[in-house]
Amino acid sequence: MTLAVEVTQLSIYADEQCLVDRLSLQIRLGQPVTILGETGSGKSLLAHAIAGILPSGLRQEGHVTLFGRSQDALSQSELEAMWGKALAVLPQEPWLALNPIRAIDGQISEVGECVLQEPSTHSQGNAQRQLDRLGLGEDGNKIPAWLSGGMAQRAAYAAATYAGAPLLIADEPSKGLDEARRDQIGALLVQHAQCHALLTITHDIELARQIGGEIIVMRQGQILERGDAEQILNQPRSDYAKALIAAHPSQWPQATKHRQTTPVLSANALSHRRGGRLLFNQLDIQLHQGEIVGLSGDSGSGKSTLADILLGLLSPDSGKIANPLPRGQALKLYQDPPAAFAQHVSMGALLQDLIRLHKLDANQIPALMNQLNLAPALLQRPARAISGGELQRFALLRALLMKPRFLVADEPTSRLDPITAAQITQLLVKYAREHDAALLFISHERTALERICDRIISL
Amino acid sequence: MMPRLLPLLGLVLLAALLSLVAIDLLYFGRDPALQQLQQVFLHPSPDHPLGTDQFGRCNLARLSAAIQNSLLMSLLCVATAALLGTGAGLAAAWYQGWVDRCLSFIINVLMALPGLVLVLLFAALIPGSFVMLYLAISAVLWVEYFRLVRSATLSLRHAPEVEASMLYGFGKGYILRRHLLPKLLPDLLSLACFGAASAILALASIGFVYVGLKPPEAELGLMMVELLPYYSDAPWVLAQPLLTVFVLILSFNLIASGVRHDIGR
Repeated sequence: MTLAVEVTQLSIYADEQCLVDRLSLQIRLGQPVTILGETGSGKSLLAHAIAGILPSGLRQEGHVTLFGRSQDALSQSELEAMWGKALAVLPQEPWLALNPIRAIDGQISEVGECVLQEPSTHSQGNAQRQLDRLGLGEDGNKIPAWLSGGMAQRAAYAAATYAGAPLLIADEPSKGLDEARRDQIGALLVQHAQCHALLTITHDIELARQIGGEIIVMRQGQILERGDAEQILNQPRSDYAKALIAAHPSQWPQATKHRQTTPVLSANALSHRRGGRLLFNQLDIQLHQGEIVGLSGDSGSGKSTLADILLGLLSPDSGKIANPLPRGQALKLYQDPPAAFAQHVSMGALLQDLIRLHKLDANQIPALMNQLNLAPALLQRPARAISGGELQRFALLRALLMKPRFLVADEPTSRLDPITAAQITQLLVKYAREHDAALLFISHERTALERICDRIISL
Repeated sequence: MMPRLLPLLGLVLLAALLSLVAIDLLYFGRDPALQQLQQVFLHPSPDHPLGTDQFGRCNLARLSAAIQNSLLMSLLCVATAALLGTGAGLAAAWYQGWVDRCLSFIINVLMALPGLVLVLLFAALIPGSFVMLYLAISAVLWVEYFRLVRSATLSLRHAPEVEASMLYGFGKGYILRRHLLPKLLPDLLSLACFGAASAILALASIGFVYVGLKPPEAELGLMMVELLPYYSDAPWVLAQPLLTVFVLILSFNLIASGVRHDIGR
């Protein structure tokens, strides 16, 4: 089988820190390779190194051979000539990579005009055929904002593969997608891998299972183990691979259903419109002490809006909350942890503010930090100097100080790697059960909701 | 190293002008309006370090008084405009509704008039009044603060960090102190530096068209227009207020370039 890429002893350094350590791999047509590892483990840098777009400031050692030509021997313009025609990168969160103000058919046919120098009539026809094949035939004239996440993902796939590159590098292609959409993009990648070369970078074990081929498990730039997909996913040898597989929602223990007792919050006949579209109509919701309720639905279906109404941040068009909770008793955990904290002061100062405002007991902080596995030194740092997982635990700590009776978790783990995500979810569940708080858990991961929730509301 | 050097140069230039004022006040201290008609256009000497003008008045004393006038005016105008504009911008973005509509209407009216025309209009009401000029220049300057603060606050108002603080029961003062001001401050400071420069330029322009402060007051624009007829006899005297305006504006613009860099990270 034809060798598309050969990477020999590739190391990437930032100053003295080693980000990728002596990685060797070969990608052949028809034999997909998947790199499985945590966020920030240098996986994306590898994709950049192969494409020859490593950011300046990073140092690269070792050899990359693309289709039999050594990358060192290629000039910048020769390398650029290969982009699109020989290798293509499917970017992370493709709806951000697409031009937001241009219809997708134009963005796809543009690839033909600019990369392959086709006449525009020719490339427009090709783009339409591509869209038809991906089930987007009717949607070519839409801008990305009018597409769902999965549709945007397929449009980006069409643009990335238009020029017929035999090597496709997919960087976290399932990030932010629900299971059905993940399966769709997985099917596309499998199809691509049948006769082309595919390198997938992901931390999603379900996607890795779907694609198959060879799997390389990486952590902190080191290869922990590598081998056949079936073998690694079924009998992992490294602790990290075991933890990664155990962290997947399908492996979580099924929570025992909670008996409904005293109501914490009840809302009657809620209706709300946004931009002329009815989000929900005559919705009755009752949340009970210690109950965990899942909220699922497509992006834009009004999950966060409903949560904001229940929190009292937004007034519904009609309907009302029967017994609104006092301020500080209904709290929220956010999707993007760094965005939920003031940026210019340390975490310690923020917690002090809260303690002073509500005359809380400061002595409980060390115990809580210990319980949440947070190092005391983190108190000195501002939010942006703390990792996402630690920050989300800080958000939980801040909430626990208040002993809220109602907690909304708005996709609290979607930006975290799977192991941290599983930890945060378990902590939330534990808190709700132990302190009789109602927990509204918003997520697009149906499996996760089914495992932890007493019931699920679908919008 | 370039971006660090330029704001430093700006501070040095400003300090040089201030030391000119200090030298005059400490060692000479002459009345800037004192005429000595037998001593017209004297060349610089130990007694008159910058020479004398067409009425034999000491150039150093006049320049020093003019710099004090300009700096006092720019300081007052910037402080007033910053307070008024920031306050109004915060109110408009926070309360929205009719507060925002009223304030935005006033701003739109002000913006439809060229700034200098507004200053001329005010200055014509009570000619030669420092207070009128101060009010007029402030009224022009606060527009920028309002627009900046309003748009920044509008986008921050529903940001998760502000929403979280509201859920935890923190009040508006806390949100202003912890969330809004730290984000606004770098922009406000650089706007203040540019504002100081435009206040100085506005005062000089008004003086130059003879609508601003009245003789014998020492004011940079007024000095230029008074000295203009003598440009061939004593170009070096005319050059003094010209150069001073140039250095003042340059120094504030250079400082502004550094403010963003240092505070805005």
